[in-house]
Amino acid sequence: MTRHFRSWIMAAASVAAMASASPAFAQDVTEISVQRFFGACDADFGTNTDVSKAVGECGIITSLINKFNADNPDIKATVTTVEWPGYDQLTAQFAAGDPPDIVTVHESALSDYQSKGLLLPLDELLATVGISPDSFTDAGRGGVTKEDKIYALPIDSWTMLYHINLGLFKQAGLLNADGTPILPTSVDELLAQAEQFKQKTGKPYFVQNLANETALFTRNLYTYLFQQDSDFFADPTKVKLNTPEAKKVFELYKAIFDKDYTTKNMDYGAAIQAFLAGEGGVQLNGTWVVGDYNASAATAGTALNSGGYAVYPYPQLFGGKKAQYADGHTWAVSNKDDRTPEQLAAIGKFLKFFADNDFEWSRTGHLPAFKAVLDSDAFKALPHRDTLAPIATLGTPLPSAVQRQFAIQDIIGEEMGAAVTGQKEVDAALTDAESRINELLANL
Amino acid sequence: MAEAVVSSQVGRSSRALTAQKAPPANINASQWRNALFIAPYLFFFATMLVFPLIWGIWLSFHKADTFGVGKFVGIANYVRLFSDKIFLQSVGNTFYFVLLTVPVLALLGLFLALALNRQTRSAAFLRAAFFSSSVLSVTIVTLIWRIVFIPDFGLLATIYGWFGLPGPAFLSSPDLSMIAIAIATIWWCIGLPMMLYLSALQQIPGEIYEAAALDNANRWQTFRSITLPSIKRTFILVVLIQVVMQFQLFGQARLMTQGGPNNTSKPIVMYIYDVAFKRWDLGMGAAASEVLFVLILIAAMAQFLLTRKRGEN
Repeated sequence: MTRHFRSWIMAAASVAAMASASPAFAQDVTEISVQRFFGACDADFGTNTDVSKAVGECGIITSLINKFNADNPDIKATVTTVEWPGYDQLTAQFAAGDPPDIVTVHESALSDYQSKGLLLPLDELLATVGISPDSFTDAGRGGVTKEDKIYALPIDSWTMLYHINLGLFKQAGLLNADGTPILPTSVDELLAQAEQFKQKTGKPYFVQNLANETALFTRNLYTYLFQQDSDFFADPTKVKLNTPEAKKVFELYKAIFDKDYTTKNMDYGAAIQAFLAGEGGVQLNGTWVVGDYNASAATAGTALNSGGYAVYPYPQLFGGKKAQYADGHTWAVSNKDDRTPEQLAAIGKFLKFFADNDFEWSRTGHLPAFKAVLDSDAFKALPHRDTLAPIATLGTPLPSAVQRQFAIQDIIGEEMGAAVTGQKEVDAALTDAESRINELLANL
Repeated sequence: MAEAVVSSQVGRSSRALTAQKAPPANINASQWRNALFIAPYLFFFATMLVFPLIWGIWLSFHKADTFGVGKFVGIANYVRLFSDKIFLQSVGNTFYFVLLTVPVLALLGLFLALALNRQTRSAAFLRAAFFSSSVLSVTIVTLIWRIVFIPDFGLLATIYGWFGLPGPAFLSSPDLSMIAIAIATIWWCIGLPMMLYLSALQQIPGEIYEAAALDNANRWQTFRSITLPSIKRTFILVVLIQVVMQFQLFGQARLMTQGGPNNTSKPIVMYIYDVAFKRWDLGMGAAASEVLFVLILIAAMAQFLLTRKRGEN
């Protein structure tokens, strides 16, 4: 027994010694850490490498990274999935000196990290793998350029949309002869159509996630401030929100709430379920659900299958610039001192892989970040891209010099939510939103 | 030489005599080497609690973000803090939450302990059942209660729907959001008070109850004159522990309501989290932390002093 045990120990020690000494055993695998949001869906796509079979943001990004790992056996991209948007965790990781190598960052959040020197400028790395910033769309390039340097690889542009249940629109008498939905062209028309919809269908015009929500309120406000030519962030360190333009937007959404033209008390998940169950005419949601909703509309027996599904940019309700709020997702690379040349090369390969597969990512519903994909027939042939194409010119971000955009989003969302649901006077909410944001920006 | 031997023997025997006469060593006497026994704890206490406390106080007087300490700003962070309506609201919310939960936990825990303080299988099963929620993580607890409270699709909404009524909007109503968090918290935390009361109840000698029975004391008299005085210290302990714990509300509010609507369910710890980690304003977050520390200290000391005074009387 003892002799057996000893021989096992010797054998194990020999294997360990050979493995550490021989390059063949060590198998030079370069590890890089990747951190992303977009949810977890390992049960469905955990081992899928056929990206064309994946749907939705989570399915496509999971499959893309699986494929990258399969195509590059010398690289292991280890993925950490964080709850959206994941910036609290990322900030803590940076503070602790242990950030991931590659991380998903919104264009609107890049300034926060870039201004602290936490991100690696990517101009040289992208050049080594043959990616030219000239190939980015204008929105993508603008979103990742800070102080004349590229700080991330843009992968898309996204915005909020009108997701429409055509069956209920037909019932409400809001379809054109060609089957397209009649959308409002002014605030008064919107309220009139919402009333007509409610009378004819008995359901609210809007399906919104208003329960303790901040992002939706804020994006709506930005869109309709842009449409009134309000330059509310003329100075990136000071906002002007206590304005007649902002008041009009607050009052519009308050009227929608007060007149029961919207679902109430729903969180994000419940609002999606409600729209898919046919509980309202228009869901205000992002580009990221186009793929999923289209798949639902193609499935027999669903609420969207019976009458059809369409998706449009926000209607132009005011007389100013044709615009709506937009942002974009990117892959950013952390600034690390102890990174090896092999790891840097692996990161370059990873970015190149995503640049090459931007079409697959655009199947989510997002607009591609590369001109060639945006102009390609394959992209144009995707469902609803004809109605979504104007986003490329409508999409307007906040000025990139505005910092803490997610914290600002929370403040606006809290105050607008309070005003819309009647917990606060509109004027008081606007005053508080402005003073809270300016206090935040004055103490960066 | 012989003299020397004799004198040394005399000296040795006199020392032995002295040693015999000396009182035995007091094993309870304070000695420096005893500190070795508490040194490991003291080390972690100092590095994990005392040092961060002092560091936090120091930070609260600085303009600091997550990536470095800027400059000394005196009490500016405290001035900003007390002029921030959201902070003052979060202080009020936290006191409201403590008032909602602590009395219920103290009294309901006692009621459960009294009801289940018996040697039967059903009592043992129910004790385990009531304690089982305490082992769950805050994520699971809030997930369960979100399924109950969620509008339109939740358990509560379904039950109301059977009667053709709209369910109360527990998670999005300014009047109900904190109550929803309190319900979930009480369900989660009730196990510990119950167990503390049970251990106290089981230490009361049975003879006293027998004597009371011989004196024809009814249940209420027995409870008031025997049970309550016997578990008074445990009652104080439960209240003290719960006050300290509930002042630190965070996970439930973050996961159930995000502190909304209109910040009506935002507690102090969530305010600290938002300021320090979302706004990166670490100095102000540290200042808010010190205020919370003082509030908990005052509440705990007030109770301690009050009960000690009463005990002395």
